[in-house]
Amino acid sequence: MSDFAGMEDLLQDFLVEASDLLANVDNKLVELEQNPHDRGLLHDIFRGFHTIKGGAGFLNATELVTLCHLTENLFDKLRNGEMEVTPAIMDVILAATAAVREMFHHLEGGVQPPPADPGLIAQLKAALSGALTQEDKAPPTAAMQPPAQPAAPAPMPEASSPAQEPNWEALFAALHGAQGVSSSTAPQKAPHENAATPPMHTDVKGKPAEEIIQHALGRRAADKPGAMAAPLGRRADEKTRDNTIRVDTARLDQVLNLSGEIGLTKNRLSSLRSDIINGRIDTDTLHALDQTVSQLDLLVSDLQNAVMKTRMQPIGRLFQKYPRIARDLARSLGKDVELVLAGEETEIDKTMIEDLSDPIIHLIRNAVDHGVESPEERRVAGKPEKSVVRLEARQEGDHIVIIVADDGRGMNAEKLRAKALEKGLITDEEANTMDERQSLNLIFLPGFSTKEVASDVSGRGVGMDVVRTNIQKLNGSIDIRSTPGKGTSFIISLPLTLAILPVLLVQLGSQPFAVPLSMVREILPVRLEDVQEVGGRATMVVRGEVLPIYPIAHLLGWETERVPQYGVLMQTAEHSFILAIDGFLGREDAVIKSLEGFRPKGVAGVTTLSNGQIVLILDMKELLADLGERRGVPRLAFLPREKLAA
Amino acid sequence: MPQDPSKIRFLIVDDFSTMRRIVRNLLKELGFTNVDEAEDGAVAWQKLQAGGFNFVITDWNMPNMDGLTLLQTIRNDPRFNTLPVLMITAEAKKENIIAAAQAGASGYIVKPFTAATLNEKLTKIFEKLGW
Repeated sequence: MSDFAGMEDLLQDFLVEASDLLANVDNKLVELEQNPHDRGLLHDIFRGFHTIKGGAGFLNATELVTLCHLTENLFDKLRNGEMEVTPAIMDVILAATAAVREMFHHLEGGVQPPPADPGLIAQLKAALSGALTQEDKAPPTAAMQPPAQPAAPAPMPEASSPAQEPNWEALFAALHGAQGVSSSTAPQKAPHENAATPPMHTDVKGKPAEEIIQHALGRRAADKPGAMAAPLGRRADEKTRDNTIRVDTARLDQVLNLSGEIGLTKNRLSSLRSDIINGRIDTDTLHALDQTVSQLDLLVSDLQNAVMKTRMQPIGRLFQKYPRIARDLARSLGKDVELVLAGEETEIDKTMIEDLSDPIIHLIRNAVDHGVESPEERRVAGKPEKSVVRLEARQEGDHIVIIVADDGRGMNAEKLRAKALEKGLITDEEANTMDERQSLNLIFLPGFSTKEVASDVSGRGVGMDVVRTNIQKLNGSIDIRSTPGKGTSFIISLPLTLAILPVLLVQLGSQPFAVPLSMVREILPVRLEDVQEVGGRATMVVRGEVLPIYPIAHLLGWETERVPQYGVLMQTAEHSFILAIDGFLGREDAVIKSLEGFRPKGVAGVTTLSNGQIVLILDMKELLADLGERRGVPRLAFLPREKLAA
Repeated sequence: MPQDPSKIRFLIVDDFSTMRRIVRNLLKELGFTNVDEAEDGAVAWQKLQAGGFNFVITDWNMPNMDGLTLLQTIRNDPRFNTLPVLMITAEAKKENIIAAAQAGASGYIVKPFTAATLNEKLTKIFEKLGW
């Protein structure tokens, strides 16, 4: 648990801003050593501590408030000329700054900082009382005792309670007569004696103003800084935070190294640019330019990889909790199941690890519950009684593959189709045209469950569609392979990172759009005469396969200006289709930026092209969802307005 | 004058953005959602002159123009005679309070404070103004 439950955001903001302030103070202190009488510097440093103190108060970081308060008071005296910067004072100030930084480290760990070194506090107080000499820089033990008569520090501002609240009314009355807070009391206009004489001397009731003010302030003699000191060293071990990540220093060094090399390459480019601007465009220069740009290309992609690697964690951290879950579950079902792990060292983006936890649990439960047979069934089938569920991860190219495989009864495509038909999830027509793979994928439909009696373990078929949705959110896909009698495998394929998405740039008129390359199977020419209307929807036959064809303009709700020239054959988990486009620009590695604050339907995000143009990345699934039940558009949708009219 | 809390347009003036966020959150807790921010007195003065603000909550210690100077500037301008200004400061030092009162501050609040304390201060000021 953190000492800052409910205030984490505030704490983060404070640390970021206050650390900047402290760094600024540090720089100013260096300047101050050179110019010890610079009022501006002294004032800036004073304000730095003052501001940190104010923020720390809201975090209840009492010890930090105390330390900043003392340091600030010291600078108040320095800037008012009451004291001068001496080497001894400078030493104390530097020590105090270091102590403030130390306290920031505690705050970063989510714990209230322990009190500052009493020796330091004593030195600050001594400095404030003007008693600090070089001799005071004795070991802390000697300085433990505060000076007998420390200069009274101003009272600590504590959380306001009525008792110590400055009584504004009384004070105002004391200063302005009985008028109270009224806007007409513009002091510059009011011919008030206060303007000429110090306010303490007079007051309406004849009482010394000082006394009223003291009363108004609610000042208590006992108000002392640091009265609420936290126990020393409390929870010092709890320095973990969820938004931190531990990175191998070798990986960080690589990032550093690469950024250095990119800097060098950039210098080379700058110099080549000057050459070219000055008219040196001979073959050598252009060759050097070509080489340098190629090198930059390589370095940047290396850097992207290296940075990405800092976010990678071995998936074994996720896997290790599953054997226990599988065992307990199998036992409760009267089954003997062993969960075998493989590829635990495979690395995957940290955010994905978190989001994968639930889908994998569900797949394991599904395998243990539905996938593998009871020991009796297995005996009859001539299989070993003990069944094996394999959880495996490996990297394949730029993808991570996670497999949950059982050696159970396998899935029966025929049965699945019949079930889906019975539940009204698919039509007769659809059932008849489905191949093996499509049939297996039926279990991902919402509301599908093959068990007559749902067990309390895997639920009532509410899980598999959620599993797929979660995987798709990570830009991944899930596939099923099953052999009756031998077992079923669920294959999850995920991109290495969520940050970079390979896209195909397509054009509608002159407007480019990006579609995820992972969905693209091929690009083909589209001729209007090849587009046939089957059952009211436009289709095209590609190597014997009848595929629906959707003009991109129709999906986006744009007016068609011309007949699309090309088709992109795309594949989602459910079905394949052809996206009809006017042209395409090529592929690009898009860095996805979400649209801040809003998300138009069908738009996954935006990216910037190499020429600086901003392009929308289309969410094909959402766009297709709009087409509704029939998942088709009429052939007429291909014809531009003018042609229809003619 | 506005009765609906969301109609009162606040200007929070502080050079420490964390502090502006704290005050903004506290105001939000109290139902005051119409809030703008300025990072020092000079920026605040610019914004105030553009008009539309009903209430100023300002820190004291700021670069460029501090809270007290801002307050004095406001009170010196006939357009803002009645504009309530709540001063925030880290100290309950009597010199500060006197200076704020003399300059015509509508109220004074010491850091750190809670939503309840802020509400109390605001209510008092509203009462005075007859809102």
